[in-house]
Amino acid sequence: MTYLPKPYVITAVEVFTSDVKLFKVKCAMDPQPGQFIEVSVPGVGECPLASCSFDGKYVDILVRNAGNVTTALFDLKKKDALFIRGPYGKGFPLAQLKKKNLIMIAGGTGIAPVTSLIEYVEKHRREFKEVFIYFGFRDEAHVLLSDRIEKWKKKFHVHVGLSNDVLTHKYERGYVQEIMEKHKPKVEHTVALLCGPETMMGGVTLELNRLGLTDNKICWSMERRMECGFGSCGRCQIQDLYVCKDGPIFRYDVIKPRLENEQSSEGVKK
Amino acid sequence: MQKVLSKAQFPSFIEGLLKSYEVYGPVKDKNTKFQKIGSSKELYLDTVTEIPAKNIFLPEHEVIVEFKGGKASERQGDTKKRVIFGLRTCDLNALQILDKVMFDPLYLTKRKNTVTIGLFCEHPDEFCFCNSMELVNYYDLFFYPQKNEYYISVGSAKGLALVKGLPTAKKEVKIPHPLNTKVLEEKNIEKSYRNKIWEADAEKCLSCSACTVDCPTCNCFDIKDQLEMNLKDGKRSRCHMSCQLKSFTRVAGGKSYRDARLSRFKHFVYHKLVYYHKHQGRYMCVGCGRCLRVCPTKIDWVKTINLLDSMETIKKKGGKKKE
Repeated sequence: MTYLPKPYVITAVEVFTSDVKLFKVKCAMDPQPGQFIEVSVPGVGECPLASCSFDGKYVDILVRNAGNVTTALFDLKKKDALFIRGPYGKGFPLAQLKKKNLIMIAGGTGIAPVTSLIEYVEKHRREFKEVFIYFGFRDEAHVLLSDRIEKWKKKFHVHVGLSNDVLTHKYERGYVQEIMEKHKPKVEHTVALLCGPETMMGGVTLELNRLGLTDNKICWSMERRMECGFGSCGRCQIQDLYVCKDGPIFRYDVIKPRLENEQSSEGVKK
Repeated sequence: MQKVLSKAQFPSFIEGLLKSYEVYGPVKDKNTKFQKIGSSKELYLDTVTEIPAKNIFLPEHEVIVEFKGGKASERQGDTKKRVIFGLRTCDLNALQILDKVMFDPLYLTKRKNTVTIGLFCEHPDEFCFCNSMELVNYYDLFFYPQKNEYYISVGSAKGLALVKGLPTAKKEVKIPHPLNTKVLEEKNIEKSYRNKIWEADAEKCLSCSACTVDCPTCNCFDIKDQLEMNLKDGKRSRCHMSCQLKSFTRVAGGKSYRDARLSRFKHFVYHKLVYYHKHQGRYMCVGCGRCLRVCPTKIDWVKTINLLDSMETIKKKGGKKKE
Protein backbone atom coordinates (compact mmCIF):
# COMPACT_ATOMS: atom_id res chain seq x y z
CA MET A 1 0.00 0.00 0.00
CA THR A 2 1.23 3.44 -0.79
CA TYR A 3 0.53 7.04 0.12
CA LEU A 4 2.06 8.29 -3.12
CA PRO A 5 -0.35 10.51 -5.07
CA LYS A 6 0.11 11.31 -8.76
CA PRO A 7 -0.37 14.74 -10.33
CA TYR A 8 -3.16 15.20 -12.90
CA VAL A 9 -4.16 18.24 -14.94
CA ILE A 10 -7.52 19.95 -14.59
CA THR A 11 -9.02 20.41 -18.04
CA ALA A 12 -12.21 22.21 -17.09
CA VAL A 13 -13.90 23.75 -14.09
CA GLU A 14 -17.66 24.11 -13.96
CA VAL A 15 -19.21 26.34 -11.31
CA PHE A 16 -22.67 25.28 -10.09
CA THR A 17 -23.37 27.29 -6.99
CA SER A 18 -21.38 29.54 -4.69
CA ASP A 19 -19.96 26.46 -2.95
CA VAL A 20 -20.06 23.62 -5.49
CA LYS A 21 -17.72 23.13 -8.42
CA LEU A 22 -17.08 20.28 -10.86
CA PHE A 23 -13.48 19.59 -11.82
CA LYS A 24 -12.79 17.62 -14.98
CA VAL A 25 -9.40 15.95 -14.57
CA LYS A 26 -7.36 14.18 -17.23
CA CYS A 27 -6.73 10.89 -15.52
CA ALA A 28 -6.64 7.34 -16.88
CA MET A 29 -8.28 5.80 -13.85
CA ASP A 30 -11.03 3.25 -13.99
CA PRO A 31 -12.81 3.10 -10.64
CA GLN A 32 -15.96 1.10 -9.90
CA PRO A 33 -19.11 3.19 -9.45
CA GLY A 34 -19.31 4.29 -5.80
CA GLN A 35 -15.60 4.02 -5.06
CA PHE A 36 -13.78 7.07 -3.74
CA ILE A 37 -10.46 8.73 -4.44
CA GLU A 38 -8.12 10.73 -2.21
CA VAL A 39 -7.70 14.17 -3.74
CA SER A 40 -4.92 16.34 -2.41
CA VAL A 41 -3.33 19.74 -2.67
CA PRO A 42 0.39 19.78 -1.72
CA GLY A 43 1.00 21.47 1.58
CA VAL A 44 -2.67 21.58 2.49
CA GLY A 45 -3.88 18.01 2.78
CA GLU A 46 -5.96 15.21 1.43
CA CYS A 47 -9.68 14.60 1.34
CA PRO A 48 -11.73 11.62 0.24
CA LEU A 49 -14.14 12.46 -2.58
CA ALA A 50 -16.48 10.35 -4.68
CA SER A 51 -15.49 9.83 -8.29
CA CYS A 52 -18.51 11.44 -9.89
CA SER A 53 -18.15 10.17 -13.45
CA PHE A 54 -15.33 8.75 -15.55
CA ASP A 55 -14.70 7.25 -18.94
CA GLY A 56 -11.16 5.86 -18.69
CA LYS A 57 -9.65 9.16 -19.85
CA TYR A 58 -11.30 11.70 -17.59
CA VAL A 59 -12.53 11.74 -14.04
CA ASP A 60 -15.09 14.29 -12.87
CA ILE A 61 -14.92 15.35 -9.25
CA LEU A 62 -17.81 17.20 -7.66
CA VAL A 63 -16.56 19.30 -4.77
CA ARG A 64 -18.46 21.23 -2.12
CA ASN A 65 -16.39 23.78 -0.31
CA ALA A 66 -16.62 22.67 3.29
CA GLY A 67 -13.12 22.30 4.74
CA ASN A 68 -9.44 23.18 4.41
CA VAL A 69 -8.60 21.03 1.42
CA THR A 70 -11.73 21.86 -0.53
CA THR A 71 -11.07 25.56 0.03
CA ALA A 72 -7.63 25.09 -1.50
CA LEU A 73 -9.15 23.07 -4.35
CA PHE A 74 -11.49 25.94 -5.10
CA ASP A 75 -8.50 28.17 -5.83
CA LEU A 76 -7.35 25.83 -8.61
CA LYS A 77 -8.06 26.79 -12.20
CA LYS A 78 -7.93 25.17 -15.61
CA LYS A 79 -4.49 23.68 -16.39
CA ASP A 80 -3.50 23.55 -12.73
CA ALA A 81 -2.51 20.20 -11.29
CA LEU A 82 -4.06 18.34 -8.42
CA PHE A 83 -2.91 15.09 -6.83
CA ILE A 84 -4.97 11.91 -6.71
CA ARG A 85 -4.46 8.44 -5.29
CA GLY A 86 -6.89 5.58 -5.31
CA PRO A 87 -9.51 4.37 -6.08
CA TYR A 88 -10.41 2.87 -2.71
CA GLY A 89 -13.42 1.09 -1.22
CA LYS A 90 -15.82 -1.44 -2.57
CA GLY A 91 -18.35 0.62 -4.51
CA PHE A 92 -21.92 -0.36 -5.31
CA PRO A 93 -22.68 -4.11 -5.21
CA LEU A 94 -23.18 -4.32 -8.98
CA ALA A 95 -23.60 -8.11 -9.05
CA GLN A 96 -26.58 -7.88 -6.68
CA LEU A 97 -28.16 -5.05 -8.69
CA LYS A 98 -28.35 -6.86 -12.02
CA LYS A 99 -31.82 -7.81 -13.32
CA LYS A 100 -33.43 -5.70 -10.59
CA ASN A 101 -35.39 -2.47 -10.48
CA LEU A 102 -33.31 0.31 -9.00
CA ILE A 103 -34.31 3.25 -6.85
CA MET A 104 -31.59 5.87 -6.50
CA ILE A 105 -32.00 8.71 -4.06
CA ALA A 106 -29.52 11.48 -3.46
CA GLY A 107 -29.50 14.72 -1.54
CA GLY A 108 -27.26 17.66 -2.36
CA THR A 109 -23.71 16.67 -3.29
CA GLY A 110 -24.72 13.07 -2.59
CA ILE A 111 -25.53 13.14 -6.28
CA ALA A 112 -21.84 12.50 -7.06
CA PRO A 113 -21.52 8.74 -6.38
CA VAL A 114 -25.06 8.16 -7.68
CA THR A 115 -24.04 9.81 -10.98
CA SER A 116 -21.32 7.20 -11.44
CA LEU A 117 -23.90 4.44 -11.01
CA ILE A 118 -26.43 6.08 -13.35
CA GLU A 119 -23.77 6.33 -16.04
CA TYR A 120 -22.88 2.68 -15.52
CA VAL A 121 -26.57 1.78 -15.93
CA GLU A 122 -26.73 3.90 -19.09
CA LYS A 123 -23.84 1.92 -20.57
CA HIS A 124 -25.25 -1.45 -19.55
CA ARG A 125 -28.97 -0.63 -19.83
CA ARG A 126 -30.08 -4.19 -20.64
CA GLU A 127 -28.71 -5.62 -17.41
CA PHE A 128 -31.09 -3.60 -15.28
CA LYS A 129 -34.88 -3.25 -15.23
CA GLU A 130 -36.74 -0.05 -14.39
CA VAL A 131 -34.77 2.78 -12.83
CA PHE A 132 -36.34 5.36 -10.50
CA ILE A 133 -34.26 8.38 -9.58
CA TYR A 134 -35.10 10.99 -6.93
CA PHE A 135 -32.93 13.98 -6.15
CA GLY A 136 -33.39 16.45 -3.36
CA PHE A 137 -31.98 19.98 -3.30
CA ARG A 138 -32.56 23.12 -1.29
CA ASP A 139 -33.86 25.41 -4.03
CA GLU A 140 -33.54 26.04 -7.76
CA ALA A 141 -30.19 27.79 -7.39
CA HIS A 142 -28.76 24.73 -5.65
CA VAL A 143 -29.68 22.15 -8.30
CA LEU A 144 -26.51 20.34 -9.42
CA LEU A 145 -25.77 18.72 -12.78
CA SER A 146 -29.08 20.06 -14.15
CA ASP A 147 -28.18 19.38 -17.80
CA ARG A 148 -27.43 15.74 -17.00
CA ILE A 149 -30.68 15.48 -15.07
CA GLU A 150 -32.59 16.69 -18.15
CA LYS A 151 -30.79 14.06 -20.22
CA TRP A 152 -31.63 11.30 -17.73
CA LYS A 153 -35.30 12.34 -17.67
CA LYS A 154 -35.60 10.94 -21.20
CA LYS A 155 -34.32 7.50 -20.16
CA PHE A 156 -35.39 6.94 -16.55
CA HIS A 157 -38.12 8.01 -14.11
CA VAL A 158 -36.40 11.09 -12.70
CA HIS A 159 -37.95 13.46 -10.17
CA VAL A 160 -36.35 16.39 -8.40
CA GLY A 161 -37.68 17.79 -5.16
CA LEU A 162 -36.82 21.18 -3.68
CA SER A 163 -37.23 21.39 0.06
CA ASN A 164 -36.92 25.11 0.56
CA ASP A 165 -38.42 26.62 -2.60
CA VAL A 166 -42.14 27.34 -2.66
CA LEU A 167 -42.05 29.26 -5.93
CA THR A 168 -40.49 26.66 -8.20
CA HIS A 169 -42.31 25.60 -11.36
CA LYS A 170 -39.50 23.71 -12.99
CA TYR A 171 -39.16 21.14 -10.22
CA GLU A 172 -41.41 19.62 -7.57
CA ARG A 173 -41.82 21.00 -4.07
CA GLY A 174 -41.09 18.99 -0.93
CA TYR A 175 -38.54 16.74 0.66
CA VAL A 176 -37.17 13.92 -1.43
CA GLN A 177 -39.05 11.24 0.54
CA GLU A 178 -42.32 13.09 -0.07
CA ILE A 179 -41.58 13.23 -3.80
CA MET A 180 -40.82 9.52 -3.78
CA GLU A 181 -43.99 8.72 -1.84
CA LYS A 182 -46.02 10.70 -4.40
CA HIS A 183 -44.65 8.79 -7.39
CA LYS A 184 -44.75 5.31 -5.81
CA PRO A 185 -41.74 3.47 -7.29
CA LYS A 186 -41.86 -0.30 -7.79
CA VAL A 187 -40.70 -2.18 -4.73
CA GLU A 188 -40.81 -5.79 -5.97
CA HIS A 189 -37.37 -7.06 -7.04
CA THR A 190 -35.96 -3.70 -6.17
CA VAL A 191 -32.82 -2.36 -4.54
CA ALA A 192 -32.60 1.21 -3.26
CA LEU A 193 -29.33 3.13 -3.20
CA LEU A 194 -29.03 6.22 -1.03
CA CYS A 195 -26.48 8.96 -0.69
CA GLY A 196 -26.79 12.15 1.27
CA PRO A 197 -26.75 13.50 4.81
CA GLU A 198 -27.49 10.79 7.41
CA THR A 199 -30.70 12.46 8.58
CA MET A 200 -32.00 12.55 5.00
CA MET A 201 -31.11 8.89 4.44
CA GLY A 202 -32.86 8.01 7.70
CA GLY A 203 -36.05 9.75 6.58
CA VAL A 204 -35.94 8.16 3.14
CA THR A 205 -35.34 4.71 4.64
CA LEU A 206 -38.43 5.05 6.84
CA GLU A 207 -40.49 5.95 3.78
CA LEU A 208 -39.03 3.03 1.80
CA ASN A 209 -39.89 0.67 4.65
CA ARG A 210 -43.44 2.01 4.58
CA LEU A 211 -43.61 1.35 0.83
CA GLY A 212 -42.59 -2.24 1.53
CA LEU A 213 -38.84 -2.37 0.95
CA THR A 214 -36.94 -4.18 3.71
CA ASP A 215 -33.66 -2.99 5.23
CA ASN A 216 -31.53 -5.60 3.45
CA LYS A 217 -32.53 -4.12 0.07
CA ILE A 218 -31.42 -0.61 0.97
CA CYS A 219 -27.82 0.58 0.59
CA TRP A 220 -26.36 3.61 2.32
CA SER A 221 -23.29 5.46 1.14
CA MET A 222 -21.51 6.63 4.28
CA GLU A 223 -19.36 9.61 5.01
CA ARG A 224 -16.56 9.48 7.60
CA ARG A 225 -13.17 11.04 8.05
CA MET A 226 -10.56 9.00 6.18
CA GLU A 227 -6.81 9.49 6.17
CA CYS A 228 -5.28 6.39 4.62
CA GLY A 229 -8.01 4.80 2.51
CA PHE A 230 -7.11 1.17 3.16
CA GLY A 231 -7.98 0.33 6.75
CA SER A 232 -4.84 1.43 8.58
CA CYS A 233 -5.48 4.77 10.24
CA GLY A 234 -8.66 3.74 12.09
CA ARG A 235 -10.34 7.10 11.55
CA CYS A 236 -13.40 5.92 9.62
CA GLN A 237 -14.44 3.08 11.90
CA ILE A 238 -18.14 2.65 12.61
CA GLN A 239 -17.71 0.15 15.43
CA ASP A 240 -15.93 -2.79 13.76
CA LEU A 241 -16.50 -1.71 10.15
CA TYR A 242 -14.04 0.43 8.22
CA VAL A 243 -15.87 2.78 5.87
CA CYS A 244 -12.81 2.92 3.62
CA LYS A 245 -12.31 -0.77 2.97
CA ASP A 246 -15.63 -2.40 3.93
CA GLY A 247 -17.68 0.42 2.38
CA PRO A 248 -18.35 3.25 1.68
CA ILE A 249 -21.55 1.56 0.46
CA PHE A 250 -23.17 -0.55 3.19
CA ARG A 251 -26.34 -2.57 3.28
CA TYR A 252 -28.61 -0.78 5.74
CA ASP A 253 -29.31 -3.88 7.85
CA VAL A 254 -25.54 -4.24 8.33
CA ILE A 255 -24.85 -0.64 9.31
CA LYS A 256 -28.06 0.08 11.24
CA PRO A 257 -27.26 -1.71 14.55
CA ARG A 258 -23.79 -0.18 14.58
CA LEU A 259 -25.05 3.35 13.98
CA GLU A 260 -27.71 2.89 16.65
CA ASN A 261 -25.13 1.61 19.12
CA GLU A 262 -22.86 4.61 18.59
CA GLN A 263 -25.84 6.94 18.68
CA SER A 264 -26.97 5.46 22.01
CA SER A 265 -23.97 6.92 23.82
CA GLU A 266 -24.33 10.36 22.27
CA GLY A 267 -26.19 13.03 24.15
CA VAL A 268 -25.50 11.38 27.52
CA LYS A 269 -22.86 13.91 28.48
CA LYS A 270 -20.47 15.74 26.25
CA MET B 1 16.34 -24.93 20.60
CA GLN B 2 17.81 -23.08 23.59
CA LYS B 3 21.23 -21.53 23.95
CA VAL B 4 22.96 -20.56 27.18
CA LEU B 5 24.67 -17.28 28.03
CA SER B 6 26.19 -16.69 31.45
CA LYS B 7 25.24 -13.42 33.13
CA ALA B 8 28.92 -12.45 33.38
CA GLN B 9 29.18 -12.62 29.61
CA PHE B 10 26.00 -10.61 29.00
CA PRO B 11 27.70 -7.17 28.71
CA SER B 12 30.10 -8.47 26.11
CA PHE B 13 27.18 -10.02 24.19
CA ILE B 14 25.55 -6.58 23.96
CA GLU B 15 28.90 -4.96 23.01
CA GLY B 16 29.14 -7.56 20.24
CA LEU B 17 25.70 -6.58 18.93
CA LEU B 18 26.62 -2.89 19.07
CA LYS B 19 29.40 -3.47 16.52
CA SER B 20 27.07 -4.36 13.68
CA TYR B 21 23.64 -3.21 14.81
CA GLU B 22 21.85 -0.17 16.13
CA VAL B 23 20.73 -1.51 19.51
CA TYR B 24 17.59 -0.30 21.29
CA GLY B 25 16.68 -1.23 24.82
CA PRO B 26 14.70 -0.11 27.85
CA VAL B 27 16.31 2.93 29.45
CA LYS B 28 15.40 4.87 32.58
CA ASP B 29 15.37 8.57 31.94
CA LYS B 30 12.60 10.83 33.21
CA ASN B 31 10.38 7.89 32.34
CA THR B 32 11.25 4.39 31.16
CA LYS B 33 11.28 3.92 27.40
CA PHE B 34 12.97 2.13 24.52
CA GLN B 35 15.95 4.09 23.29
CA LYS B 36 19.12 3.67 21.29
CA ILE B 37 21.88 2.56 23.67
CA GLY B 38 25.67 2.85 23.58
CA SER B 39 26.52 0.22 26.16
CA SER B 40 24.88 -2.49 28.23
CA LYS B 41 25.19 -0.32 31.37
CA GLU B 42 22.38 1.94 30.15
CA LEU B 43 19.83 -0.88 30.17
CA TYR B 44 17.08 -0.82 32.76
CA LEU B 45 15.54 -4.29 32.94
CA ASP B 46 13.50 -4.26 36.16
CA THR B 47 9.98 -3.36 35.03
CA VAL B 48 7.80 -2.97 31.97
CA THR B 49 8.60 0.36 30.30
CA GLU B 50 6.17 3.26 30.52
CA ILE B 51 6.53 4.22 26.85
CA PRO B 52 6.00 1.27 24.50
CA ALA B 53 8.30 0.06 21.73
CA LYS B 54 5.86 1.12 18.99
CA ASN B 55 7.50 4.54 18.91
CA ILE B 56 10.61 3.03 17.26
CA PHE B 57 8.49 1.99 14.26
CA LEU B 58 5.83 4.67 14.43
CA PRO B 59 7.48 7.89 15.55
CA GLU B 60 5.25 10.73 16.65
CA HIS B 61 5.92 12.51 13.41
CA GLU B 62 7.32 10.94 10.22
CA VAL B 63 7.47 12.33 6.68
CA ILE B 64 5.85 9.93 4.19
CA VAL B 65 5.56 11.95 0.97
CA GLU B 66 7.49 14.93 -0.33
CA PHE B 67 6.28 17.38 -2.95
CA LYS B 68 8.87 19.17 -5.02
CA GLY B 69 8.48 21.02 -8.33
CA GLY B 70 5.02 19.61 -8.99
CA LYS B 71 6.10 16.03 -8.38
CA ALA B 72 5.50 13.77 -5.43
CA SER B 73 7.96 11.21 -4.10
CA GLU B 74 7.44 8.67 -1.38
CA ARG B 75 10.01 8.21 1.38
CA GLN B 76 11.39 4.71 1.48
CA GLY B 77 11.92 3.00 4.81
CA ASP B 78 14.98 3.04 6.97
CA THR B 79 17.15 0.01 6.11
CA LYS B 80 19.47 0.32 9.11
CA LYS B 81 19.95 -3.03 10.87
CA ARG B 82 18.41 -2.82 14.31
CA VAL B 83 18.15 -4.99 17.38
CA ILE B 84 15.61 -4.30 20.10
CA PHE B 85 16.55 -5.93 23.38
CA GLY B 86 14.36 -6.31 26.43
CA LEU B 87 10.90 -6.58 24.90
CA ARG B 88 8.47 -8.33 27.24
CA THR B 89 5.95 -10.85 25.94
CA CYS B 90 3.34 -8.07 25.81
CA ASP B 91 5.60 -5.81 23.74
CA LEU B 92 6.40 -8.62 21.32
CA ASN B 93 2.75 -9.50 20.82
CA ALA B 94 1.95 -5.83 20.33
CA LEU B 95 4.35 -5.73 17.39
CA GLN B 96 2.65 -8.75 15.85
CA ILE B 97 -0.71 -6.99 16.24
CA LEU B 98 0.60 -3.81 14.61
CA ASP B 99 1.91 -5.82 11.64
CA LYS B 100 -1.69 -6.67 10.72
CA VAL B 101 -2.82 -3.04 10.47
CA MET B 102 0.21 -1.12 9.19
CA PHE B 103 0.82 -1.51 5.47
CA ASP B 104 3.02 1.41 4.46
CA PRO B 105 6.59 0.89 3.15
CA LEU B 106 8.15 2.98 5.93
CA TYR B 107 6.84 0.71 8.65
CA LEU B 108 7.39 -2.53 6.74
CA THR B 109 11.05 -1.96 5.87
CA LYS B 110 11.82 -0.92 9.42
CA ARG B 111 10.16 -4.06 10.75
CA LYS B 112 11.92 -6.29 8.24
CA ASN B 113 15.33 -4.99 9.28
CA THR B 114 14.77 -5.37 12.99
CA VAL B 115 15.62 -8.33 15.22
CA THR B 116 13.45 -8.57 18.33
CA ILE B 117 14.94 -9.99 21.51
CA GLY B 118 12.49 -10.73 24.28
CA LEU B 119 13.12 -10.85 28.01
CA PHE B 120 11.08 -12.76 30.56
CA CYS B 121 9.00 -10.44 32.75
CA GLU B 122 10.21 -11.08 36.30
CA HIS B 123 8.45 -8.25 38.09
CA PRO B 124 4.95 -7.66 36.73
CA ASP B 125 3.09 -5.11 38.85
CA GLU B 126 -0.49 -4.82 40.06
CA PHE B 127 -1.68 -3.47 36.69
CA CYS B 128 -0.41 -6.34 34.52
CA PHE B 129 -3.00 -8.81 33.22
CA CYS B 130 -1.16 -10.36 30.27
CA ASN B 131 -2.14 -13.92 31.20
CA SER B 132 -5.77 -13.09 30.45
CA MET B 133 -5.03 -11.98 26.90
CA GLU B 134 -4.06 -15.28 25.21
CA LEU B 135 -0.61 -14.12 24.17
CA VAL B 136 1.52 -16.21 21.82
CA ASN B 137 5.25 -16.87 21.49
CA TYR B 138 6.51 -14.45 18.91
CA TYR B 139 10.17 -13.49 18.97
CA ASP B 140 13.48 -13.86 17.20
CA LEU B 141 15.24 -14.55 20.50
CA PHE B 142 13.85 -14.79 24.03
CA PHE B 143 15.96 -14.47 27.19
CA TYR B 144 14.87 -16.38 30.27
CA PRO B 145 17.04 -15.45 33.28
CA GLN B 146 18.10 -18.16 35.76
CA LYS B 147 20.46 -17.85 38.71
CA ASN B 148 23.74 -17.40 36.86
CA GLU B 149 22.79 -17.58 33.20
CA TYR B 150 20.24 -16.70 30.54
CA TYR B 151 18.49 -19.49 28.66
CA ILE B 152 17.89 -18.16 25.16
CA SER B 153 15.02 -19.58 23.08
CA VAL B 154 15.48 -19.15 19.34
CA GLY B 155 12.40 -18.24 17.32
CA SER B 156 13.75 -17.50 13.86
CA ALA B 157 16.76 -17.74 11.57
CA LYS B 158 17.30 -13.98 12.05
CA GLY B 159 17.66 -14.60 15.77
CA LEU B 160 19.80 -17.69 15.42
CA ALA B 161 22.42 -15.73 13.48
CA LEU B 162 23.07 -13.63 16.61
CA VAL B 163 23.66 -16.56 19.01
CA LYS B 164 25.42 -19.06 16.76
CA GLY B 165 28.60 -19.00 18.82
CA LEU B 166 26.91 -19.75 22.14
CA PRO B 167 26.69 -23.27 23.60
CA THR B 168 23.43 -25.15 23.27
CA ALA B 169 21.58 -25.92 26.50
CA LYS B 170 21.91 -29.50 27.74
CA LYS B 171 18.44 -29.48 29.23
CA GLU B 172 15.78 -27.10 27.95
CA VAL B 173 14.00 -24.93 30.48
CA LYS B 174 10.26 -24.38 30.20
CA ILE B 175 9.36 -20.72 30.30
CA PRO B 176 6.47 -20.06 32.72
CA HIS B 177 3.81 -17.36 32.50
CA PRO B 178 4.57 -14.14 34.36
CA LEU B 179 2.82 -13.85 37.72
CA ASN B 180 -0.31 -11.73 37.45
CA THR B 181 -2.56 -10.54 40.23
CA LYS B 182 -5.02 -8.81 37.92
CA VAL B 183 -7.39 -10.88 35.81
CA LEU B 184 -9.73 -9.87 33.00
CA GLU B 185 -12.57 -12.29 33.49
CA GLU B 186 -14.66 -11.66 30.38
CA LYS B 187 -13.53 -10.59 26.94
CA ASN B 188 -16.67 -11.18 24.92
CA ILE B 189 -18.34 -7.91 25.90
CA GLU B 190 -20.09 -7.15 22.63
CA LYS B 191 -23.60 -7.49 24.06
CA SER B 192 -22.83 -5.13 26.96
CA TYR B 193 -22.22 -2.08 24.77
CA ARG B 194 -25.25 -0.26 26.09
CA ASN B 195 -24.72 -1.21 29.71
CA LYS B 196 -25.01 1.79 32.03
CA ILE B 197 -21.87 0.76 33.90
CA TRP B 198 -19.65 2.48 31.31
CA GLU B 199 -21.08 5.88 32.18
CA ALA B 200 -19.26 5.97 35.53
CA ASP B 201 -15.90 5.49 33.80
CA ALA B 202 -16.70 7.98 31.06
CA GLU B 203 -17.67 10.48 33.74
CA LYS B 204 -14.16 10.26 35.20
CA CYS B 205 -12.46 10.40 31.78
CA LEU B 206 -10.74 13.68 30.90
CA SER B 207 -10.24 12.77 27.22
CA CYS B 208 -6.53 13.41 27.73
CA SER B 209 -5.59 10.52 25.41
CA ALA B 210 -2.71 9.34 27.64
CA CYS B 211 -4.00 5.76 27.42
CA THR B 212 -3.70 5.70 23.63
CA VAL B 213 -0.28 7.34 23.70
CA ASP B 214 1.08 4.67 26.04
CA CYS B 215 -0.79 1.75 24.48
CA PRO B 216 1.63 -0.48 22.55
CA THR B 217 -1.01 -1.42 19.95
CA CYS B 218 -2.70 1.95 19.34
CA ASN B 219 -1.70 2.82 15.81
CA CYS B 220 -4.37 5.29 14.65
CA PHE B 221 -2.80 8.21 12.89
CA ASP B 222 -3.35 11.50 11.20
CA ILE B 223 -1.88 12.61 7.88
CA LYS B 224 -0.76 16.22 8.00
CA ASP B 225 0.71 18.53 5.37
CA GLN B 226 3.33 21.21 5.82
CA LEU B 227 3.83 23.96 3.29
CA GLU B 228 7.33 25.10 2.37
CA MET B 229 8.24 28.78 2.20
CA ASN B 230 7.86 28.93 -1.60
CA LEU B 231 4.14 28.04 -1.14
CA LYS B 232 4.34 25.29 -3.75
CA ASP B 233 6.32 22.43 -2.27
CA GLY B 234 5.48 20.62 0.90
CA LYS B 235 5.81 17.59 3.08
CA ARG B 236 3.16 15.13 4.11
CA SER B 237 3.65 13.28 7.35
CA ARG B 238 2.04 10.61 9.46
CA CYS B 239 1.44 11.76 13.05
CA HIS B 240 0.05 10.14 16.16
CA MET B 241 -3.66 10.64 16.71
CA SER B 242 -5.97 9.44 19.43
CA CYS B 243 -9.56 8.19 19.29
CA GLN B 244 -10.11 9.92 22.65
CA LEU B 245 -10.01 13.34 21.01
CA LYS B 246 -13.09 14.90 19.48
CA SER B 247 -11.25 15.90 16.33
CA PHE B 248 -10.56 12.24 15.61
CA THR B 249 -13.82 11.81 13.72
CA ARG B 250 -14.43 15.43 12.72
CA VAL B 251 -15.27 15.80 9.03
CA ALA B 252 -15.37 18.84 6.78
CA GLY B 253 -18.22 21.02 7.91
CA GLY B 254 -17.51 20.42 11.59
CA LYS B 255 -19.53 17.32 12.42
CA SER B 256 -17.84 14.97 14.85
CA TYR B 257 -19.29 11.46 14.80
CA ARG B 258 -18.18 10.46 18.29
CA ASP B 259 -19.04 13.63 20.09
CA ALA B 260 -19.76 12.22 23.55
CA ARG B 261 -16.91 11.19 25.82
CA LEU B 262 -18.78 8.01 26.60
CA SER B 263 -18.75 6.79 23.01
CA ARG B 264 -15.06 7.70 22.60
CA PHE B 265 -14.11 5.86 25.78
CA LYS B 266 -16.11 2.81 24.75
CA HIS B 267 -14.52 2.89 21.30
CA PHE B 268 -11.10 2.43 22.91
CA VAL B 269 -12.16 -0.56 25.01
CA TYR B 270 -14.27 -2.17 22.31
CA HIS B 271 -11.61 -1.71 19.63
CA LYS B 272 -9.17 -3.60 21.84
CA LEU B 273 -11.48 -6.47 22.74
CA VAL B 274 -14.18 -6.75 20.08
CA TYR B 275 -13.61 -4.89 16.79
CA TYR B 276 -10.06 -6.06 16.10
CA HIS B 277 -11.03 -9.59 17.11
CA LYS B 278 -13.71 -9.68 14.42
CA HIS B 279 -11.20 -8.94 11.67
CA GLN B 280 -8.08 -10.72 12.89
CA GLY B 281 -9.30 -13.41 15.28
CA ARG B 282 -7.31 -12.19 18.26
CA TYR B 283 -7.50 -9.44 20.85
CA MET B 284 -5.81 -6.13 20.24
CA CYS B 285 -5.08 -5.71 23.94
CA VAL B 286 -1.93 -7.42 25.24
CA GLY B 287 -2.59 -6.87 28.94
CA CYS B 288 0.46 -4.72 29.62
CA GLY B 289 -1.60 -2.42 31.86
CA ARG B 290 -0.01 0.77 30.54
CA CYS B 291 -3.37 2.50 30.01
CA LEU B 292 -4.35 1.80 33.61
CA ARG B 293 -0.98 2.83 34.98
CA VAL B 294 -0.91 6.17 33.18
CA CYS B 295 -4.53 7.27 33.63
CA PRO B 296 -4.62 10.50 35.66
CA THR B 297 -8.09 9.73 37.03
CA LYS B 298 -7.35 6.03 37.67
CA ILE B 299 -9.98 4.61 35.34
CA ASP B 300 -9.80 0.83 35.57
CA TRP B 301 -11.80 -0.61 32.70
CA VAL B 302 -10.62 -4.12 33.54
CA LYS B 303 -12.34 -3.85 36.89
CA THR B 304 -15.42 -2.44 35.16
CA ILE B 305 -15.62 -5.43 32.83
CA ASN B 306 -15.22 -7.82 35.74
CA LEU B 307 -18.07 -6.05 37.51
CA LEU B 308 -20.10 -6.20 34.31
CA ASP B 309 -19.68 -9.93 34.27
CA SER B 310 -20.97 -10.37 37.81
CA MET B 311 -23.78 -7.88 37.18
CA GLU B 312 -24.98 -9.84 34.18
CA THR B 313 -24.96 -13.16 36.02
CA ILE B 314 -26.95 -11.56 38.83
CA LYS B 315 -29.44 -10.32 36.26
CA LYS B 316 -29.74 -13.78 34.75
CA LYS B 317 -30.38 -15.38 38.11
CA GLY B 318 -32.91 -12.68 38.89
CA GLY B 319 -31.43 -11.97 42.30
CA LYS B 320 -30.32 -8.74 43.90
CA LYS B 321 -26.74 -7.69 44.31
CA LYS B 322 -25.43 -8.62 47.72
CA GLU B 323 -23.60 -6.09 49.82
